[in-house]
Amino acid sequence: MSTEKNPYKLLGIPEDASLEDIKAAYRKIARRLHPDVNPNNVAAQAQFQDVSNAHELLTNSSRKAAFDLTLKTKKVDPDGDYFFTFQVVTSKQIVYPLTEPQVIYMLADIHPDPRADEIKQRASHLNLTLVLDQSNSMTGARIERVKVAAHQIIDGMSENDILSVVVFNDRAEIIIPATRVTDKPSLKAKVSLISASGGTEIYQGLSVGMSQVKQYLGPKLVNHIILLTDGHTFGDQDKCLELANKAALDGVGISAMGLGHDWNDKFLDELSSRTGGASSFISSVGSVVKFMNEHVRNLSNSFAERMLLSVATDPDVQLESAFKLSPHPQPLSIEGGNIVLGSLPKNRPISVLLQFQVPPNMPEGQRHFARLVVNGEILANTNPQFYIVRDPLFEISKDTTVKQDPPTSILDALSKLTLYRLQERAQDALDKGDINEATRRLENLATRLFEMGKNDLANEALTEAKRVTMTHQLSTGGRMTIKYQTRHLLANEVPVENTKPVESEKSES
Amino acid sequence: MITCTYCGHINRPGLLFCEECGHTLLEGGIDATVPTKKLETSLGEFSARATWGSASVKKISSIVMRIRDVSEPVVLELKDRIVFGRLEPSSPRQPDVDLTPYGALEKGVSRVHAAIERSDDVLTLIDMGSANGTNLNGQRLTPNQPRVLRDGDEIRFGKLIANLYFQI
Repeated sequence: MSTEKNPYKLLGIPEDASLEDIKAAYRKIARRLHPDVNPNNVAAQAQFQDVSNAHELLTNSSRKAAFDLTLKTKKVDPDGDYFFTFQVVTSKQIVYPLTEPQVIYMLADIHPDPRADEIKQRASHLNLTLVLDQSNSMTGARIERVKVAAHQIIDGMSENDILSVVVFNDRAEIIIPATRVTDKPSLKAKVSLISASGGTEIYQGLSVGMSQVKQYLGPKLVNHIILLTDGHTFGDQDKCLELANKAALDGVGISAMGLGHDWNDKFLDELSSRTGGASSFISSVGSVVKFMNEHVRNLSNSFAERMLLSVATDPDVQLESAFKLSPHPQPLSIEGGNIVLGSLPKNRPISVLLQFQVPPNMPEGQRHFARLVVNGEILANTNPQFYIVRDPLFEISKDTTVKQDPPTSILDALSKLTLYRLQERAQDALDKGDINEATRRLENLATRLFEMGKNDLANEALTEAKRVTMTHQLSTGGRMTIKYQTRHLLANEVPVENTKPVESEKSES
Repeated sequence: MITCTYCGHINRPGLLFCEECGHTLLEGGIDATVPTKKLETSLGEFSARATWGSASVKKISSIVMRIRDVSEPVVLELKDRIVFGRLEPSSPRQPDVDLTPYGALEKGVSRVHAAIERSDDVLTLIDMGSANGTNLNGQRLTPNQPRVLRDGDEIRFGKLIANLYFQI
């Protein structure tokens, strides 16, 4: 849809720029984004295409005149479409050139339109698919609570929403085919018939779930799959991840909820992060209903959907990692520089911390490290497509007299993210069989947690450190708790998770 | 490269927190915020410049060790490795610093107890698998894992307590 994009914005020039200015601006950006220098950077290639189109349009006098005219008529429009804002702060503005590579952070904040709260009538309608694990291990309290959750979700939906329910064990079954939520009693009755048996094959459930959500796929809808499972899937993980890539292209988000301690957290993290969904850990069966309801509420509170952050690094710069701090803390997949962010809620920003490595021996002067474009579909707009370009400028200088402290927002986020990384590194060490290293990292984590006053979690880390020394492994419960609670520290709020067991898990069979 | 003042891990420049232990890597994070501590008892001429908390040993030539309940400080010449322990003629490994005169046997000091090592710009303390362990500022060390030493740190070899001060 390149014709809809404002070529002046893409080139970062004023609307009265001369032909010379246009050409100069294009050359400057094209040099950095050109596919020849970015052979493996999908984001850079896509951005290059956009910028080239913009240049083509503006250097063709008749097309330029036509565009300028639409621009003028648009400006008279008093209605004013909804928008979002995009801010980027960096850990440094002035970079001292070193003889070794160094690290630069960027914190990208995307805020919804301040008027978004006033959108009274729910602009976003759900196209929701529940993919529920009905394997043997779900027997008893688990499956019963999931049914209660599904009932409440149905109650909370309106007739403009679309729902489908798929259950799976070794195979998948459609309990409710994609339909508008009109006859609630009959939908609930169908859910009530679900019972547990068999194994866990997530791909079966997901692929059928995908086929259901696709029946009503629409640009004005929140297209989402919620996967709930309590077990490991074997042999079909790659197929699931492939499916997630396709889902992302179709604009479908997948959120994964792991119940109990015996599920593959790395896999579910990856699955959801590829589609901009969230992954959560539900430690006790008692909080299933709360978790699922809250998640659906968040989905129906969406301001913009299919948010995508494209990070085109300059050829000599590497994007090392991306982490979503808000609305739901989540490690992000950075493949090709295209970062799928999912929904932008009406009342909370999306906040992403990016870590870059920049090269040694940079010449003094001004330069860029990465061009960031955020794209999204604002549900309340007639033309939902909206995007913003940011291209932070840095000064490379050997002047050390200017003292610059990193912004507190970055420091604050990073101090907590560091804890999450510490537990990851402890896990990595353990995977490599380095017991001493794993113990030491867990102890370091505990030290930092005590400093922050998170004594319970710190003690958990210490207990696990001891356990690692004695038994050379972590307890699954402890590992999950440490992982998801350190992640939750980033949310800047009381963890949603209620850690004390509310209900005992009794088997009814 | 930035050396973490807490654990000695070498980090890439631009990182704000140590990747190994999570300690802040901001320049002056320690030296600037922690004021110079007045030592309680006079240590003679070497007490004048002692800065509490500094881990940098660029200009340090020796270490002064004050053992609790012992009036005379022990001055240690700085070298790559100083081993602390209890001298026993039959033992094959001899410590550089013999703690026997300070009640090492009663206080549970091992024959080869711990060592101070110099690496780059910092000193590290390493417990060498002692029977009763080594504590640094109240924290028990994992055997054979180095910890960065700072000016004024309290060390416990078994039950023997000492403070270390860097001397320029």
